[in-house]
Amino acid sequence: MNAKLKKKSISVSNFIGPLIAALLVAVVVGFTTDRFWDLDNLNNLALAVSIIALLSIGSTLVIFIGGIDLSVGSMIALITMAMSTLLKFGGWPIAAGLLFAVILGAILGAFNGVFTAYLRVPAFISTLAGLSIFRGAAFLFNNGSPIFSISENFEIIFYGKLFGTIPLAFIYVAVFYIFFILFMKYSKLGREIYAVGGNETAAKLSGINVKKVKFIAFIIAGAMAGVASILMASRLNSGSPNYGSGMELSAIAAAVIGGASLSGGRGNIINTLFGALTIIIVQNGMNLNAVPTSLQGITLGLIILIAVLIDMWKAEVAELFKKLIKKKV
Amino acid sequence: MIAVYISFPMKAKVFWQLKNITMFFPGVVALNNVSLDIYKGEILGLVGENGSGKSTLIKCLSGIYQPQKGEFYYQGKPVKISSSMLARKLGVSTVYQEFSLVPTLTVTENIFLGRLMKDKKGFVDWGTMYEKTKSILDTLKIDIDPNKIIYNLSVAEQQLVEIAKGYTANGSLVILDEPTTALTAPDIKRLHELLRRLASTGHTIIYISHRINEVIEVVDRIAVLKNGELAGIANISEITMNGIVKMMSGRHIAEHYPKQCNVQNEVILKVENITTENGVNGVSFEIRKGEVFGLAGLLGSGRTEIARALFGVDKITSGKIYFKGKKVKFNNPRQAIEAGIAYITENRKTDGLFFNLNGPKNSTTAKIKKLFRSNRLRILDLKKECKIYDESNKKLKIEPMSKYKMVGFLSGGNQQKVVVSRWLFSEADFFIMDEPTQGIDIGARLEVYNIINELMAASKSILLISSDYLELISMSDTIGNLKFGRITSIKDAKDVDKKLIINSSV
Ligand SMILES: Nc1ncnc2c1ncn2[C@@H]1O[C@H](COP(=O)(O)OP(=O)(O)OP(=O)(O)O)[C@@H](O)[C@H]1O
Ligand SMILES: [Mg+2]
Repeated sequence: MNAKLKKKSISVSNFIGPLIAALLVAVVVGFTTDRFWDLDNLNNLALAVSIIALLSIGSTLVIFIGGIDLSVGSMIALITMAMSTLLKFGGWPIAAGLLFAVILGAILGAFNGVFTAYLRVPAFISTLAGLSIFRGAAFLFNNGSPIFSISENFEIIFYGKLFGTIPLAFIYVAVFYIFFILFMKYSKLGREIYAVGGNETAAKLSGINVKKVKFIAFIIAGAMAGVASILMASRLNSGSPNYGSGMELSAIAAAVIGGASLSGGRGNIINTLFGALTIIIVQNGMNLNAVPTSLQGITLGLIILIAVLIDMWKAEVAELFKKLIKKKV
Repeated sequence: MIAVYISFPMKAKVFWQLKNITMFFPGVVALNNVSLDIYKGEILGLVGENGSGKSTLIKCLSGIYQPQKGEFYYQGKPVKISSSMLARKLGVSTVYQEFSLVPTLTVTENIFLGRLMKDKKGFVDWGTMYEKTKSILDTLKIDIDPNKIIYNLSVAEQQLVEIAKGYTANGSLVILDEPTTALTAPDIKRLHELLRRLASTGHTIIYISHRINEVIEVVDRIAVLKNGELAGIANISEITMNGIVKMMSGRHIAEHYPKQCNVQNEVILKVENITTENGVNGVSFEIRKGEVFGLAGLLGSGRTEIARALFGVDKITSGKIYFKGKKVKFNNPRQAIEAGIAYITENRKTDGLFFNLNGPKNSTTAKIKKLFRSNRLRILDLKKECKIYDESNKKLKIEPMSKYKMVGFLSGGNQQKVVVSRWLFSEADFFIMDEPTQGIDIGARLEVYNIINELMAASKSILLISSDYLELISMSDTIGNLKFGRITSIKDAKDVDKKLIINSSV
């Protein structure tokens, strides 16, 4: 009986932290401006969250295997440019363009993966190179200028609503998150990702193909960047070599705020969603209060630091809370 | 429960006093009102089943954990051991069960970690520290280069460095938590001599081990923990090994090594003249179905290296391996596992466990495929995983909470059992077992032996590596004696005399 109780409390406490963080931030922001709880604003918020939320799924998986992917922001630039070119000037049908975006993302991810997993370049370095290369490549399209009006009604992908009520962006987030939560829990690969992140040597000695698992994590990160690119492009019906800059940081921050450990092996996909929510709510709050961009960057950086500190000192923080509660009782 | 409280030589002074120490972790009471007097200059043995609270107790004494209740008295004065630094100031130096060496640093750097020596100008004085380390290792007759990186040392060598580190700290209370699990007889003998020497110069020693037969050779008194409580304490002259085991487990164990013989004629593994770059020198042997082939040898003789070569970890530079009648060459462990080989590694911390996963998940990693709902539906059946874990739990008696706990929070012996359960789950035909019973208590060890017998009866085979000679000779059918990476003799285990092995290996 005792054991059962314990199990419950473990799994609950696993995602209670990031969820509380997101709610707390929402309440605080709600105090600073009454526009926050406006239906329109909430709608905007949901749309804004969707892109980061999808992008950070991949970043989280890479963090799970003990790596990091700094290149996903630049991937968005390259993918939106390449896709827009094909759709607008190449006359590709839309469906083919979308498929192309995801596949190109996977290929870019594979590029990171080859260097990191097989040639053993530290992920930080190889994806930093990727960050520079992909952004540079994005400028090769259309003489480096943005491509507008990719295709008529392209915005529907992002702004559309199912049955006129449920935003499509919502559905993408729900579908991908549900899929990846189940994937991590019930698939062999998901299990292997946790194992590789936990102890690479032990994983190898248990017969896990460590290199392949790492490689695939990077491919998934790339493919998810492809999905995020579609939404980015659809949002303003355009592609731009400047899209996505700094988004790799937001994506990593979402994972870290969600409790994914940068040393690998620990964390939950669902928490990344709460992490993404936290970031976007803070950003939205700052926008509503007309906080200058410079301060926004500083704030995001500080949030990352605080999240990592809380994660590192989890036990101590919990102990502190316990003591505070005891004193009050 | 009969508690026998007998004091060590009446004239001896009480040095440390533990009163009502109580410590709980979420869901478990690890220590329940433990009171214990420790006398100046004694060697106190601390024994008990896996998870009985031994490590927790000494971690409280070393300032790693703060018990929720209870007091410590140091020479009669109450003290609060709120940090490991404070414990060190009080003269406590501890060799922990889980290695605390930094793997990427050298032996010297580890021994002087946290108290680097400086020269007059204030620079770190590597020269002197190297010399000092060398002389310490020489005094302790440990043959390891001070400049070696810990990562490259075997488990036994790491244990020796740990001991040297504990010795260098020159504490008045030296605590050793299972320091000998991978050590062979000569090294253990040397350690025991060292302990006696330390005790005779006024040091006090607490010695934790599951090798009861060795413990009783060296300690003055023995304290037994059971389920977090002190089940008894006695002078060693007044208690027998059986008495201790009874107190620990509440049952009488008649036969410690229940060996059954099941050797068949068919050869499953044939090794011809294999050589590797790291210490296997033209080794040949054969293992038959139902046979336990024991590898005897000292530290550095190449036992683990043979295991690694067979499992596809280290590259074989020359020689041939035939497995199940076919010539094989494994480029990695995955291929070896697919061919039907299992490998219980010697170092559970670096090579075995996933500290981020719980017991069941740790125990299925070598054959995750077995959890697929069907061949076409490649989805993991988590219920099945738990059910299978419960079964191996019944046999190995792994702590029940390990179903939910990450294995890092389990006691050392329970962690080892999880590693064993992983390879039983893999359903191999040939098992390489490198120190399979290290840190496992007597009762559960018996279960491992029974499992070995069952495997043999089912026509499986085992390559057994164990620094515990009694275990090795008793549980093997054949013994290959290894020296400098070469097999010097292969004999029927029955014909091997215990003393002979120790001597011929030296
Ligand atoms: N950090 C921890 N978190 C939670 N539970 C713990 C922790 N450390 C120990 N325990 C629990 O406390 C109990 C006592 O563990 P301890 O490590 O002291 O046993 P032990 O006697 O040293 O066993 P072994 O012989 O296996 O080393 C066990 O039930 C164990 O699961
Ligand atoms: Mg222990």
